[in-house]
Amino acid sequence: MEKPRYARCNESDVTRREVLRVGSLSLLGISLGQYLQVSKALADNGLAGGPVKAQACILLWLEGGPSHMDTWDPKPNSAFKPISTNVDGIQISELFPRVARHMDKLAVIRSVRTEEDNHPQGTCYTLTGHRPGAALKFPSLGSIICKETGPRNELPQYVLVPQPCEHAFTSAFQDAFSANFIGGEYNPMVLPDPSQDDFRVADLTLPKSMSFEQIANRRTCLSVVDRFYREKENLAEFGLMDASSRQALAMLTSPGVKNAFDLSQETEKTKDAYGRDRVGQSVLLARRLVEGGCRFVTASGYRGAEWDTHGNNDKILRETLAPTLDRTLSVLLEDLKQRGLLETTLVVVMGEFGRTPDVNAAGGRDHYAKCWSLLLGGGGIRGGQVIGASDERAANVADRTVSIGDLFATIYKAFGIDYTKTYMSPVGRPVYIANSIGDEQGQPIQELV
Amino acid sequence: MGRVGYRAFRLSQVKGEVNGALEAIVRHPCARHRKHMNRAPGARWIAFLFGLLLTANGSMRDGGAVAAGELISELQALRLVPEHPTLWGAKASQRFVVLGTFADGLERDVTAHAVLTLSDPTLATIDSGARVTVRADGACDLIAQVGGCKASTRVQFEGSSQTLPFSFARDIGQILTKRGCNTSDCHGSVKGQKGFKLSLNASYPQEDYKWIIEGGVYKVLTTEQSEPPKPRINKEQPEESLILQKPAGVVPHGGGKRLDVGSMDYRTILAWVQNGAPYGEDDGKAPIAIEGLKAFPPDVVLDPQGKHQLLVTALLSNGRNEDVTDQATYTSNNVEVAKVNGDGMVEAVSTGETAIVIRGVGRVASARVGVIAQPIPNYPASPGSRNFVDEHVFAKLRKFNIVPSGLSGDAEFLRRVCLDLTGTLPSPNRARAFLADPDPDKRDKLIEILLASPEYVDFWAYRFGDLFRVHFTARQDLRGTHQYKDWVRNRIALNKPYDQTARELIAVQGWGGTTQHYYRVTSLMTPQEIMAEQMRVFQGLRLECAQCHNHPFEAWSQDQFWGLAAFFGRMTPVNSYLILDLPSAVAGKTVNHPRTKAEVQPAFLDGTTVPESKLDDLRMTLARWMTSAENPYFARATVNRIWGYFFGRGIVEPVDDMRSTNPPTHPKLLDALARHFVERGFDIKDLIRTIVQSRAYQLSGEFNETNRKDLINCSRSLPRMLEAVVLMDAISVVTGVEEVFELDNFAGGGSTPPGTRAIDLIPDISPSNFMDVFGRPNRQALPEPVNDVTVGQALHMLAGSTYTEKISMEGGRVDRLVKSGANNREILEELFLAALCRLPTEYERTELDKILDKDPSRKENVEAVAWALISSREFAYNH
Repeated sequence: MEKPRYARCNESDVTRREVLRVGSLSLLGISLGQYLQVSKALADNGLAGGPVKAQACILLWLEGGPSHMDTWDPKPNSAFKPISTNVDGIQISELFPRVARHMDKLAVIRSVRTEEDNHPQGTCYTLTGHRPGAALKFPSLGSIICKETGPRNELPQYVLVPQPCEHAFTSAFQDAFSANFIGGEYNPMVLPDPSQDDFRVADLTLPKSMSFEQIANRRTCLSVVDRFYREKENLAEFGLMDASSRQALAMLTSPGVKNAFDLSQETEKTKDAYGRDRVGQSVLLARRLVEGGCRFVTASGYRGAEWDTHGNNDKILRETLAPTLDRTLSVLLEDLKQRGLLETTLVVVMGEFGRTPDVNAAGGRDHYAKCWSLLLGGGGIRGGQVIGASDERAANVADRTVSIGDLFATIYKAFGIDYTKTYMSPVGRPVYIANSIGDEQGQPIQELV
Repeated sequence: MGRVGYRAFRLSQVKGEVNGALEAIVRHPCARHRKHMNRAPGARWIAFLFGLLLTANGSMRDGGAVAAGELISELQALRLVPEHPTLWGAKASQRFVVLGTFADGLERDVTAHAVLTLSDPTLATIDSGARVTVRADGACDLIAQVGGCKASTRVQFEGSSQTLPFSFARDIGQILTKRGCNTSDCHGSVKGQKGFKLSLNASYPQEDYKWIIEGGVYKVLTTEQSEPPKPRINKEQPEESLILQKPAGVVPHGGGKRLDVGSMDYRTILAWVQNGAPYGEDDGKAPIAIEGLKAFPPDVVLDPQGKHQLLVTALLSNGRNEDVTDQATYTSNNVEVAKVNGDGMVEAVSTGETAIVIRGVGRVASARVGVIAQPIPNYPASPGSRNFVDEHVFAKLRKFNIVPSGLSGDAEFLRRVCLDLTGTLPSPNRARAFLADPDPDKRDKLIEILLASPEYVDFWAYRFGDLFRVHFTARQDLRGTHQYKDWVRNRIALNKPYDQTARELIAVQGWGGTTQHYYRVTSLMTPQEIMAEQMRVFQGLRLECAQCHNHPFEAWSQDQFWGLAAFFGRMTPVNSYLILDLPSAVAGKTVNHPRTKAEVQPAFLDGTTVPESKLDDLRMTLARWMTSAENPYFARATVNRIWGYFFGRGIVEPVDDMRSTNPPTHPKLLDALARHFVERGFDIKDLIRTIVQSRAYQLSGEFNETNRKDLINCSRSLPRMLEAVVLMDAISVVTGVEEVFELDNFAGGGSTPPGTRAIDLIPDISPSNFMDVFGRPNRQALPEPVNDVTVGQALHMLAGSTYTEKISMEGGRVDRLVKSGANNREILEELFLAALCRLPTEYERTELDKILDKDPSRKENVEAVAWALISSREFAYNH
């Protein structure tokens, strides 16, 4: 099942077959030169040939910001009791009995510290490693991973399902998921809600009335009409457009692409297991897409900031949020394992921040960035571990602050990406791809990768 | 403070340099020079000794000015630069450049071919770098001779017996810069390097002094050091100073060896430490500050193999000038076009333009370099000037040997000007009428019709809606958004003076449309964000970098940034929509410096603070300063931005990044446009009219051999990708099917009223797949050009609703054409005029005829042609 990772082999390892394959990749925007460069960069960093496992990543996005003391970092100031897991010494909230049986596959980080506690800013911070600023918009994790690893086949590399932030997926949030200055080709493809009956991926299926013969007819006309202007102008963009157009056609005609997006090929039993709601079906589609060849899928079924429990925190957690997450996350881990995909698929479970140790007058918890928790699993991450610790009320980091830069560096290392890399921004400022607090270089968590 | 000892050390240094210069001369007999000028090296040696005569040359000039050499016979006039300089102080020196004017009208550096003499050789010496060094007070003429041409200039020598007082900034700063210690990838990076920080290029000598004396690195958010700072000097044992041991490689140094033990620079630093490491210039007087750098020439024009020496002058606060050519460092922005050596000699590489960035004595400057093509034997007469725009544009093209394309055809002009002025394609009927109209003034008349059209208001309201960020986010007040949109629209419709518009926007108080964009979601943006945005929009300055550290490419300091931010420090939000500026005491708000935490007082960019009487309306005070006719940025930034819309790039590009290291392509044109804009009372419509009436704007897109690679000189019309909203509307017009835009539920739901075009939308509240794929204006941030080409777009063209459903819609253009029973010729003409403003070529007619006549469905075939037209490159660009 596991495909050889082109970015991993040394220059000398490039066989004729691989060269041919890489050659065919140029259609998708990667040239052989770039490929060799990547290989060399990896070799220089001593990463080549290392235990690189991750080929793809599913980000299970807990939009709104989950309460850390009610989930992965149980504390006395939570209404919920801690329960044991299948790893000795690790306890999580009683709300997640099924996840507890998969603790060996998961690492909990309990000392995450971020610097923004409003939704748009926090989303930007956790997904780019940077506070939002007017001078520069930074590329998101998914975009960076896609840029650094390259496509595996015709499938879009980066998918967001469904569109998060239901109301205002306006620019305030959009930037957090986007490629920004590294280029539009690394923006996510945004899908509608797959739990809806009329779920259809716009632009990836021809309208019913259209046939491929018609497409061919249209393209013949285009070659006639385009001739006049192309004789006059030859812009660099024309070449890119031609390549995009060929790739688009390949996607439209590829059975692989069609299958990857086709949820109807899943059994009713599987659909039920993941859950028939937006959360379950988004994660199920994410699994299909990763299996099909996507690099990074953000499953944002909790869109509309469902985890934003300013009122009735305990009730909402007990009745809706925890049951859906417990079910879908545990099924995802089982399913990936069963399909042999867990070793190559990194699973990240987090939101944009944690929640206050104190309960407010409405029985809710408010935004909290100073100390919170997240889960990592699969993709070669060594599970069954707790990294860092919070204090007795989960109010402050008690041991080992983990920054978003450290998280990113860990993820990059799992992918075999040189985490020390910087990108040069259009304003001439070098930007760490793993940017830690105070604009320092993030460091991978050695116990995990 | 050991001043006497210091003087003594300076004297020995001077002696050493003279010896060094002698050695340099003896070691470089300069073969090429002999060949050209037929003089023996011995003669030059004697000439130098007696200061009678010297031909300027040297190894760096080998091969220099070959092109000029070949043209020497065409030399018409000569001049010496700088003119009438005064050299002040002991060992003061000045480099000169000899410029020759040639038959082709260009000036070239002919210093290498010149014989330089002084009318009174007792006053100064001349050396191989055309460098005049003082000996005694007085005045005499410097005379240059090339062939039969002569030029001279008066040179004044003053204060030759006065040693310049020691200055840390000058004497140590230049060593740090020359040796590469303070570059951005070494200690000059924002946070310094390995525990030692220097300001980039010695821009902030007082800070450097502190870093060296005390040690430590820069922290963005605090002045406290995380580890004990390590002083870089050792007064007890000066030789043990890290500032000597590190660069000399005595102790391990990540940056390698930069300095030889015992070298001149080593000895300078050592003597400085031995003398107690003074800052200098501290004897009660205000230090002489360097207020700016000036490069000569600001515009260098080079032949394909040409070379030119740059001269760099420091402008001092005491009114004097000082030659710092030898102290400056030089970098070419594009070494494919021109390279520059450490001496300031620029050399052509290939045709094109670039800038040489000059850093020295804590300041930056730049010189623009153009490498011209081979001369054109019969350069055609200028296409004529409609207004001053053309004079500037065509003069530059002439200078660069680029022949402009001819005037655009009527069809080409019609499509271009309609899209540029109204964002709207002309209908086939307007196209037919315009093409058939024999009136010689029809272009001017069309321009007036378009400028007076409601579509002009729609389109420029969209443009300024982007710039002024008319947007809506959850939980804001939709009514307020509409009010803001209407305000922008009114400014355009009434053509309000732009300075007034700017003031209303910057200084708005209370509740009104314009207060909206100061909010991000529900909270007021910070003073620094608001300030940086207004400076970028109305002054064309990007100060954001200076928020956290002194600006790396420009002389903007962090203190200047926060001084400006303080103008916005009293804005107080009330109920998420009202803004009032309250006195700090009432508002309980101050703007504090992020590192020192001290309260910052409002100060203009030039450092002036606000008088007590103006403190109560801070933002209006700033707005008046920003928009006055005397403000050096406002008019230039505005005309540059508007120009950019019509030519695809600003005279300075990016349009809001004006700085000395990013020089304009047409400096005089930029000045002239700005002057015109001020004289006409900041009239936007008049400015637009001036631009589109110019021949330069109306040139054809057809290139010739001389301008096919030219992207910056307006020598032809260059294709510009249509913005997503304009493309969307154009597709609606061609297909004859209006787009119905949805409205988000939280904005009331439903859909937009009939007739709403994409340029009318508030982008955030109208979901549209097309817009997502092709680039929805992002009004959370200032507009930036997006030219992304993505697979998503290609997919949408093949399978998306915009490109498939609209074409076949009942009642649309294709449907009507097919039902009308029109023949192939009529169908093709109508579709081509609608989409491309032109008739099909013979080839297109023949080939498409074949497709139209194919079975089974004529309608499908017409749809295929329509699809091809709206999917073509020609359609997707304005050209």
